[in-house]
Amino acid sequence: MHMYLHEEVLKQMKHLKSFNKKAKMLDAAVSQGDVEEVVAMQSVVGCTSVNDPGWEVDPFGGLGSLCQPMESDLYGCADACWWPAQVPDTMSSHPNWSQDVAKADEDWRKIDAIFPESE
Amino acid sequence: MKNHSMKRVIRFGGAVAFLGLASTASAIDGPQIIKENCLLCHSETGNAEAPFSRISQQRKTPEGWQTTINRMKSQRGLSLKPEHERVLIKYLADHQGLAPAETADLRYVLERQPNVVEQNVPEHVAGTCTGCHSSARSGLQRRTTDEWQKLIHFHMGQVPTIEYLAGHRDRPWFQIALNETAVKMGEGYPLQTQAWSDWKAKPKAALNGQWAVSGFVPDKGEFTAVMSVMPNQKDNYITLINGHYADGSKLTGSGSATVFTGYEWRGAIVIDGRKMRQVFAASEDGKQMAGRMYLKNDEVMGGRVLAEKADKAATLVSVTPSSIKQGASQTLIIAGANLSNKVSLGNGVKVEKVISQSADRLVVQVKADAKAAIGQRTLSVGKQTLENAVAVYDQVARVEITPTESIARIGGNGGPIPKRKSTYRAVGYAAGADGKPGTEDDLSLGYLPATWSLKAFDEVAEHDNDLKYAGSIDAKGIFTPGDAGLNPERKMSTNNVGNLAVVGTVKDGANSVSGEAHLLVTVQDFVKELIQ
Ligand code: HEC
Ligand code: HEC
Repeated sequence: MHMYLHEEVLKQMKHLKSFNKKAKMLDAAVSQGDVEEVVAMQSVVGCTSVNDPGWEVDPFGGLGSLCQPMESDLYGCADACWWPAQVPDTMSSHPNWSQDVAKADEDWRKIDAIFPESE
Repeated sequence: MKNHSMKRVIRFGGAVAFLGLASTASAIDGPQIIKENCLLCHSETGNAEAPFSRISQQRKTPEGWQTTINRMKSQRGLSLKPEHERVLIKYLADHQGLAPAETADLRYVLERQPNVVEQNVPEHVAGTCTGCHSSARSGLQRRTTDEWQKLIHFHMGQVPTIEYLAGHRDRPWFQIALNETAVKMGEGYPLQTQAWSDWKAKPKAALNGQWAVSGFVPDKGEFTAVMSVMPNQKDNYITLINGHYADGSKLTGSGSATVFTGYEWRGAIVIDGRKMRQVFAASEDGKQMAGRMYLKNDEVMGGRVLAEKADKAATLVSVTPSSIKQGASQTLIIAGANLSNKVSLGNGVKVEKVISQSADRLVVQVKADAKAAIGQRTLSVGKQTLENAVAVYDQVARVEITPTESIARIGGNGGPIPKRKSTYRAVGYAAGADGKPGTEDDLSLGYLPATWSLKAFDEVAEHDNDLKYAGSIDAKGIFTPGDAGLNPERKMSTNNVGNLAVVGTVKDGANSVSGEAHLLVTVQDFVKELIQ
């Protein structure tokens, strides 16, 4: 019933480790312990605490290290399934999310949220 | 695989609250619906105690069951008639739900309370399971260890990057989750508990009758009301509500509610033309309900509700405000039904007059002597009493703004996702016997009226001019964030996000006392969930 990742996908995943320059800088600059402490303090229910970079909050509890404007990196986030509870992951759960909108920074008004399905 | 993901019939909040509207009576029962719809993929175990694979080995809330069924439909290809879905969720929540004691500490996610920072997250969950969603999402489930482990496998399959996320990739996340977290969950949150077998065996109180209610909605303020609850079908009620806002204006509404698991009240009600949702828990004896009521289309706009079964008996629910300054006159609004008008707050506090009395409230004017003893007072109305109801104080020494940590999300501006606001209230404290604010013996004065302003939270926010772009706060303490989209006026066309401090200022005679809360105005949430 449970299909695990193909080798191919796994390789791509490894690549994600250095997905973002800021994340690298962060890894180098701050010890994990410090980061976790900041994040634990800042985490409001509904926000992700995956923070390299973060979605709502950066590892320092501010906004300065987020991808901004958000639209310019939106699909990178969705593909990588980085924050699946905040940005629909198009890799497995929501392959068709915003498929008609090629450029998020131009056509952001066409991008809707995923809603809990009811009838 | 069918893709329903973009289909949006009822907005966020619709799915379960919708159950409150509709009948769950049906010719076909839960087990039959499972047999006819689920056995394509699930199997019969042959064990009468737990007849269906993956289904009979878990317990969860109505919202929890709805989430799983939604996934069966959107990800697995299940198709289920809407009326059968309602019957099934009711059946599952009733027969495989959680006992009142099992949900008591985690109701904030069911109530959609905004700006919660979770406390007491179990050690094996913190860091391993809190990266994406609340700890309450798992705390509101009970499973066999095997089922907790299957949940880990499900995460690995559904979110393939899970091992590679920050905080996960530096350790063997999967092994830890499977062999440590899931095992601890099986011990701490097992399928079989005493609380659940006791609750299942207990006769459940019917909730029809008259309820005396008090509550709060940020844009309207405090209110009092009488809610009439009339039986419709089994566990399904029609509701009528009538009352007053604090300023005396009238409140009226009607709706319906379904009760799951014998105590989980889910109501849909229209009050003064606005669609609202009620997520309440009834007490085990069925004499009290507590929870949150919020606007269906703007869930941040809501507040606590307390209801006491009144019928014909004198019932005292609450009083606002909950403090009075030495030497001052004060109007008190007492929520309750069938009350006498004999009000007392003890020595040194005189009832000057009864201003009005109606079915839902008693309004009185009281005056505290300049030398009235400082401290919490018991309110008595006839034979009814409320302890620690009103504090007599000398001066406001300290103000706390709640919530202390908060977020708002940009939205609107022609896009489909509305702004997510954030609302604030000021709680006052007197210094207490030691004369020092911020110590153990501070005297809580409850919510106090305040004026509101914003400022940059730090130097970065100051430098980026966040105050100009991120939003504004009104006289009621309601913050409305800025517009969605790129803002070419800002560096790199940054969104209208910002790092702000919310300042609430309380006037106390000639003094002003302020408190601050942190507000991060951030980006949208593109995934709406029934349990965050
Ligand atoms: C088309 C196949 C299919 C159908 C039909 C189906 N399921 Fe499932 N179900 C799955 C798969 C695959 C999983 C495991 C992955 C997951 O949890 O999403 C699962 C898992 C579950 C789980 C465990 C979820 C968890 O959180 O551990 C429950 C409960 C469940 N299904 C209930 C139902 C019910 C009730 C029905 C019928 C109304 C149903 N399913 C119909 C395929 C199906
Ligand atoms: C990478 C992000 C992520 C992490 C980390 C994560 N989850 Fe989840 N969780 C999800 C997603 C996505 C869902 C699917 C929600 C849905 O069904 O739509 C989910 C669903 C759930 C559910 C509801 C399943 C159901 O149908 O009843 C529970 C319970 C849960 N997670 C518990 C946990 C636990 C326990 C951990 C830690 C071992 C954990 N989660 C870690 C993303 C995550």
